[in-house]
Amino acid sequence: MNYFVIGYYALLIGASCLAAYYSVRSAFLLLFSLTLVSFIVGIVGGESALWTITICAGILALCIGTAYAFREFLVIVLWGEGSKAIKTAPLTATFGLFVIMTYAIAGIFAPIIAPYGEAEVIAGAFAPADENMLLGADQLGRDLFSRLVFGARNTVGIALLATTFAFVLGALAGLIAATLGGFFDNLMSRVVDVIMSVPSLIFALLLLSIMGTNAFVLIFIIAIIYAPRVFRLTRAVAGNVVVMDYIEAARLRGEGLWYLIRREILPNSTAPLIAEFGLEFCFVFLLVAGLSFLGLGIQPPTADWGSMVRENATLISFGEITPLFPAGAIALLTVAVNFVVDWMLFRSSGLKG
Amino acid sequence: MSDVLSIVLKRLGLGLITLLVISILIFFAVELLPGDIAQAVLGQGATEENLKALREQLGLNQPAIFRYLEWLGGAVQGDFGVSLISGRSVAETIGPRFAATLFLASYAAVIAVPIAILLGIIVALLRDSIFDRVANVLTLTSISSPEFFLGYVLILYLAVKNPWFPALANVNFQDIGTVELYYRTFLPALTMVLVVVAHMMRMTRASIINLLASPYIEMARLKGTPAWKVIVKHALPNAWAPIINVVALNLAYLITGVVLVEVVFVYPGIGQLLVDSVTKRDFPVVQACCLIFAATFILLNLAADVGAILTNPRLRHPK
Repeated sequence: MNYFVIGYYALLIGASCLAAYYSVRSAFLLLFSLTLVSFIVGIVGGESALWTITICAGILALCIGTAYAFREFLVIVLWGEGSKAIKTAPLTATFGLFVIMTYAIAGIFAPIIAPYGEAEVIAGAFAPADENMLLGADQLGRDLFSRLVFGARNTVGIALLATTFAFVLGALAGLIAATLGGFFDNLMSRVVDVIMSVPSLIFALLLLSIMGTNAFVLIFIIAIIYAPRVFRLTRAVAGNVVVMDYIEAARLRGEGLWYLIRREILPNSTAPLIAEFGLEFCFVFLLVAGLSFLGLGIQPPTADWGSMVRENATLISFGEITPLFPAGAIALLTVAVNFVVDWMLFRSSGLKG
Repeated sequence: MSDVLSIVLKRLGLGLITLLVISILIFFAVELLPGDIAQAVLGQGATEENLKALREQLGLNQPAIFRYLEWLGGAVQGDFGVSLISGRSVAETIGPRFAATLFLASYAAVIAVPIAILLGIIVALLRDSIFDRVANVLTLTSISSPEFFLGYVLILYLAVKNPWFPALANVNFQDIGTVELYYRTFLPALTMVLVVVAHMMRMTRASIINLLASPYIEMARLKGTPAWKVIVKHALPNAWAPIINVVALNLAYLITGVVLVEVVFVYPGIGQLLVDSVTKRDFPVVQACCLIFAATFILLNLAADVGAILTNPRLRHPK
């Protein structure tokens, strides 16, 4: 027993008693179950396990604080509808927005933020962190932090491009299929059924083995694989709109296909489509990262998070956490986008539960 | 009963047709190569004689349709041709590796399925409480993380910092006993369990909440039935269909999501074989692996559909 362990339990028990006294039921439940879990973990893992829990709780508190401050900031900065919507947003959503903003800044201003170039060799292989290099060097002696920053541009950029491409392709086909119906609709639906019955990673591997690996092929392949999912959703959403009376009226007015899609159907199906874009981005991003991790995606020397994990993976066996940074960067962005999408879906559908 | 049989048969037939179309897709995708397979294998510097010899050996002189029918005929009998790199029979290479992958997937499934369903039901019953919110954030995080991130985190904390489990699952099935096998493959299995449990928990929670919102459950509650009886007698019979669906879909995910996990842990499964063959451009192996993955995926989706039909009287007796 030392001061840390005593202080740790005293703080937890004190906080849960306070929560119980002021009858904040949810906080009490959370704190007290944490105390019980700590008892077990502390007995099994000793003091270091308690330190881990403390650090995790600290990071969590920092995230919550950031999210809370960012929400207040957005409420003040934005105006009208946006401000009102943000005010009721859960903290997870504003945390997601904050992370997305950080990544966007890192990606756009990468050359200014990064202290070194993305393929610049400045030290020995796997050199440890010093005052020049925040996170140390990778297997060729390139600055890991600079590569992480450039990776925000390359990895996210390619995923974003592929998602946009897939989305335009799928949404356009879906809208046309829903509006025209008949033969085109049937044909597209069957094609989509077949593409969707092959797992996406397997399909991507098959196509990559044939076409070779470069960025354009990658974007093209991913667009082909993910367009069907967008097609299905768009067709379903637009299908509900097409049967409305005002579409009938527009048809009787003699409006063309393009006008119907652009002015009547699209404005009435944007909310689910935007949420779908976010979800789709997560899938595409994970696929790009996975393919790069397998050495079949974005090719070196371009800085990319997936291949960075693979290149530095040997460090793991020496107990270094460096390879986890790029992998964590991938996870953090996907989580952030998912949080925001969750909130948007909740808002657009009034979904309960 | 004959009704059910005909519906199931119809569904099976549809699955078979899909598989046939996919086999066409997989075979003719290779035909899209600039030049042909012989050229792709031998590269730019190949002499005309070498090309000719290889074409002869691979039977590329015949029209594509014949080769497809021959390939399909072989595939149905378990003969996928010969590897371009090693010259060994593809079926021989794939066989033990497929068994290894199935072992890993079922190992993960046996752990994941009961935990996920139990946790999903608990979370659904406790919905909107603080536990539900925490579980929501945790499962969302687990789903969003790439498999290799989870894998490396587990290696770092359970194999390197605390040497409890071996980091690499480069196992040889003949040499080690059953207990040792489970011990060595624990970390890859745990990685998949984490991802699959998160998925299944969310899906189970959604379907149970959907069910609990229906009027007849409220009626049962209002007439004073005890809570456990509402769950066991009223909710559960109708919950089977969605739960079976969730399980089958996630098993399908297990079979395909195994690729990244196998690479992280250097596990000698079919996923790693597929990745290696894609890098080496060994087309017969790639085609065979893709066909096997697609067939498994379709089969499990089919099982989900059939399960849903069998457990749902409304689907069993369509109007």
